[in-house]
Amino acid sequence: MVSTVQNSDVKQKDEDQAVVVAVTFAAVFDAEAEDDRDVYRLGVALPLLQVLQRVNERLLEENPVEHQLFDIILITTETRQQQQSSSIINSTRHHGLEVGRFCFSSEDDFIESLAHNNVQLFLTTDGNEALQATQQGVPSALLDKNSASCPSDQLRVVLCQDATIQPNADSSGASKKSAQSFLTLLGQIRQKFGMFNSPLCFTIVTSCGGKDSCCSALKSLRSLGVSVDEAYCLGGAPRGPILSILRPHFLLSDGFSQLEG
Amino acid sequence: TVGRPGSTLGPRPKPENSITIAVSSRVLFNMEKEQQIFEQQGMEEYIKYQVEHETEPFSPGPAFSFVKALEAVNTQLRDLYPESEELFDVVLITNNHAYVGLRLINTINHHQLFIERFCMTGGNSPIGYLKAYNTNLYLSSDPVKVHEALGEGIAAATMFTPDKMTEVSETQLRVAFDGDAVLFSDESEQIYKAHGLDKFFEHEKAHENKPLDHGPLKGFLEVLGKLQKKFYAKGQRMDCPIRTYLVTARSAASSGARALKTLRLWGLEIDEALFLAGAPKGPILEKIRPHIFFDDQMFHVEGAAEMGTVACHVPYGIAQRVPEKKGLKDKEVSSIK
Repeated sequence: MVSTVQNSDVKQKDEDQAVVVAVTFAAVFDAEAEDDRDVYRLGVALPLLQVLQRVNERLLEENPVEHQLFDIILITTETRQQQQSSSIINSTRHHGLEVGRFCFSSEDDFIESLAHNNVQLFLTTDGNEALQATQQGVPSALLDKNSASCPSDQLRVVLCQDATIQPNADSSGASKKSAQSFLTLLGQIRQKFGMFNSPLCFTIVTSCGGKDSCCSALKSLRSLGVSVDEAYCLGGAPRGPILSILRPHFLLSDGFSQLEG
Repeated sequence: TVGRPGSTLGPRPKPENSITIAVSSRVLFNMEKEQQIFEQQGMEEYIKYQVEHETEPFSPGPAFSFVKALEAVNTQLRDLYPESEELFDVVLITNNHAYVGLRLINTINHHQLFIERFCMTGGNSPIGYLKAYNTNLYLSSDPVKVHEALGEGIAAATMFTPDKMTEVSETQLRVAFDGDAVLFSDESEQIYKAHGLDKFFEHEKAHENKPLDHGPLKGFLEVLGKLQKKFYAKGQRMDCPIRTYLVTARSAASSGARALKTLRLWGLEIDEALFLAGAPKGPILEKIRPHIFFDDQMFHVEGAAEMGTVACHVPYGIAQRVPEKKGLKDKEVSSIK
């Protein structure tokens, strides 16, 4: 049974306009490490949480009554975690994380919670969870130890185009549509800042496709209202090097309905 | 599969096998008008203008004929070695935001350039990218970026637009290099600046058999030489599609020998060595008609550009720190008997 608890330390966001981002317990905290006071240490999602908060701060600087802010919820995806609710709430408050609410679900019902909470992006360290969420139409991204060394002053979203990846047989029209609407929301947020010094940066990396496929991606993103800052067309060169320069917080992949590992 | 002219789907060489030439948008194309709008009216107007003119191609810039010549060499290499990946690979680098980049892509298509790789950095420095992807040569109109690239060990030069552009070959790539502080280090020039001309001559003669240290563009000459050998192997020595020139103010009578011996020791051939003994470089370059000329002294770069040669400045060595003093090259004139 799912229970949702608000974090009274954090001002609640507007239900209709906020962009809800769900982050799993295992991404927020380093589940293996607890200190004596029963407080979890922070995990790989920390820079991402910080940068989402940074975007919110900058949005409020531009418009003090801005409602289209990131609303972060912490979600548990295992029964064992579900049972640690008070430790989780304590640890979150202890670290002063800008988590709006907690969603205590198990492996059986976390997907339902995502839908129930109108989650627009699901962040996890678990490949299976991400796959399940994507299949159910919630755009997902995989975090790993690289995420821990991402910058915390600018949210970097990298859209990776790779013409050789065949669309996942399971990927539905719905998941593609929801990925597009998530991008549209990000695009709206991006528009609130100028060309330079923006806390949010969109980059396209075209791996194998040529300049024309990069070109059409730029145009279709433009039609979604997404203004792309940087574009790299690699012409078949490996993408490792450019990704380590770009240090994305998350990668969205081909058709934006697949995962990036 | 062999890439046919007009085909954009030829196999892409892997970066480690190909010779990567990175060119900035402002040297590949003429963006003077847009640059003016940016400087005088600001970013908003600039972006607006670019987007409004998105389907209008830019006209060619100073690097255009050089890039076309690289493609001509590629075509001839593919004919002789259809399986080889040792080809030139041109990458477009721009500081522009990706939006503005669409006009650049349209322009590439319009001029039928075989550029499939580009880097639109949205204002960030491209240096990380250049290093990560084995760049053999970087050409830009921005001296700051060129300086940064040289500092990271990447061969780089600031390209200028000549007042008029002399016609160059469409089938033979011609590259001209200055010697000191371009192919070679600036060690000899330092001797001159510190101790004067006579000491320089003494020094060069005494060390005739000691090779000079290498300069920032030695590596590029080396890759050109490698490709030349591939043509020679197929019997194309006399009409090789690549031709290289050394255009130096050293004198054949005195200081030239050390330069030639150094090249020989490096296993590098240069097709023509022109020892000017201090004479201006403009006229000889006008006869040679290289697609590109590299020099470390602005005096020579300007002289070449005035006469229609696409000249690039390599901001390396002592000449950059002591720009007002005339270099050894000009002083040599008075010593020739």
